[in-house]
Amino acid sequence: MRVGIVGSGVMAEVHARGWRTTEAELLGCTSTNLEQATRLARQFEIGVYKTYSDLLQDVDIVDICVPTHLHKDMVLQAASAKRHVVCEKPIALRLLDGLEMIEACDKAGVRLFVAMVVRFFPQYRLSRELVAKGQIGQLGVIRLKRVSFVPQKQGDNWYLDETRSGGMVVDLMIHDFDYARWLGGDVERVYARLNQATEGPGQYAQAILRFKGGPMALIEGGWAYPPGVFRTAIDISGTEGLIEWSSDEHAPVRSFLLRRPGEAVSVGLPVAGLSDDPYALELQHAYRCIRSGEPFEVTAHDALEALRIALAARESIATGKPVSL
Amino acid sequence: MRIGILSFAHLHAETYQAHLGDMAGVELVGFSHEDASEGRHFAERFGLRWFPRHQDLLAEGLEGVLVCAENARHRELVEMAAEAKCHILCEKPIATNSVDAKAMQAACERNGVHFMTAFPMRFDRSVREVSTAIREGRLGRIYGVNGINHSEIPTAHRRWFADKALAGGGAAMDHIVHLADLLRWLFAAEVLEVYAELDNLFYPHTVEVDTAGLLLLSLSNGIQASIDCSWSRPTWYPRWGHFKMEIVGEAGTVVMDSFAHYLTLYSRGAPRNPSWVGFGSDPNRAMLEEFVASIRERRPPSVTWNDGFQAMRVVLAAYESSLTKSVAIP
Repeated sequence: MRVGIVGSGVMAEVHARGWRTTEAELLGCTSTNLEQATRLARQFEIGVYKTYSDLLQDVDIVDICVPTHLHKDMVLQAASAKRHVVCEKPIALRLLDGLEMIEACDKAGVRLFVAMVVRFFPQYRLSRELVAKGQIGQLGVIRLKRVSFVPQKQGDNWYLDETRSGGMVVDLMIHDFDYARWLGGDVERVYARLNQATEGPGQYAQAILRFKGGPMALIEGGWAYPPGVFRTAIDISGTEGLIEWSSDEHAPVRSFLLRRPGEAVSVGLPVAGLSDDPYALELQHAYRCIRSGEPFEVTAHDALEALRIALAARESIATGKPVSL
Repeated sequence: MRIGILSFAHLHAETYQAHLGDMAGVELVGFSHEDASEGRHFAERFGLRWFPRHQDLLAEGLEGVLVCAENARHRELVEMAAEAKCHILCEKPIATNSVDAKAMQAACERNGVHFMTAFPMRFDRSVREVSTAIREGRLGRIYGVNGINHSEIPTAHRRWFADKALAGGGAAMDHIVHLADLLRWLFAAEVLEVYAELDNLFYPHTVEVDTAGLLLLSLSNGIQASIDCSWSRPTWYPRWGHFKMEIVGEAGTVVMDSFAHYLTLYSRGAPRNPSWVGFGSDPNRAMLEEFVASIRERRPPSVTWNDGFQAMRVVLAAYESSLTKSVAIP
């Protein structure tokens, strides 16, 4: 099947590399940033489409890697053009938008895959498998960490604009809200606190989730570390055991290098280790399911529920009170 | 200086007696413990003089006592010790309710003796270093703290830790006060709001107290701080558990793991395999030295009754929050 990418930023490039590991034919990309799109096209030897509509005409699957506030219109347009959709997370900024996107794709008979990539990180996947196999008994306390630095972007940094990205709680913490829900099931209650930098976009938040089935979780997220530092961690305890993993600990290869002059860090991506690239794995999975008609392991509905938790956390931060779902 | 230990119910009494035993100028007169078989056992094991009745130990003309009874029995022993004009170092939490805590304070004031709360982590070297980093402003303005004091269930060492009547609660009563106290102390702030989820998720069939707990506190200086007080480490974990704090600030983050100085030991037939054998310094030593120094120098100790009281109020607020499913004010 033929694939086209919308967008030309960090995620577009990561996805382009991922598509290259599938049997899909990556045709081209389109972007409002023509210079960036040209560079991406040259790197992957693909075409540049002038408009989104032009791209939609030529492809079977469109991969939407643009700022979150643009997701809805683009997905709706793809659905009316009867094209399958892969869409970056978060699915949308509002629940109703997400719902409308899901319904439009359903009605059009096209598939909608939301790229909740953490589910494809091997350590997260294996932890979930061990929990599902009953290796640690009934779940008790889940602790998840995902603290990074303020996204660095030349030009228009839409990440920092809450009206376009949903802010750190929606854009970054949604990964662990989704993962926690994958482990613990539906959430009953959310309480969260967020502290902002005196100047600039730095921020740090913690949220306590209580699941309907009993377990509880502490989710920590932030754009708070010095540039280049990105720490993630998993601690899942149950009645019969415990799973621990931290990005602080040893890896198959660790390098300590001087930074070359002019080298800069951009948007932080967590390290998966030497295993298969999780971004490639998620696109391989999406492609396989779109071709075969099998259900996705992480559905658009899951993506919507993760957004529901993130929005509840934001409401709790705003009101200072726990929010029931 | 003549010192005694009132009750050996708390596990820490074992550590305290070892330190007091080799501290210059300190004579550990003995310990009192009402249960005869336990009393004999500890006397034999540690080579200490055992007093079956607390009054008899207090009649020995002591200058200071360590109260190591079960939480709910602190008040009774503190009042007796105060009447006997002994300065007091009391295990944490100082009590299980405000009425008892206030009665303890009144007894000490009435008798002109000082009351020190046993918060050893204030004397820990890692905590001291973090304190310096914060005080010197190296982290900039602080966003928040991620605090961990999770452990195994302590019932294998002392059953009463999971007995609501004696302990006043479970994991929350056991662990919260250490981090709550450090937050107050490090930031010279009070806890304004407490949100807590507490439940018995780990041992629903064997104990009747809370074994899982997550808290999110708001301090008077605007900082958020989480505390994980759960008994969530398995009993086959390499060590009892952890004491950690990550302090995230605008200019930097410091990750503190107070017991990170350990060797990993694989020893055939050991009860924990592997086990983490610590080689760090024991903060209890410096805490006991401060207690002894405060008596010698006739001054109040650096950790006060109020410190113990405020930390206990955070625990009580956590129980209230968990019950009402809303934010509680200590």
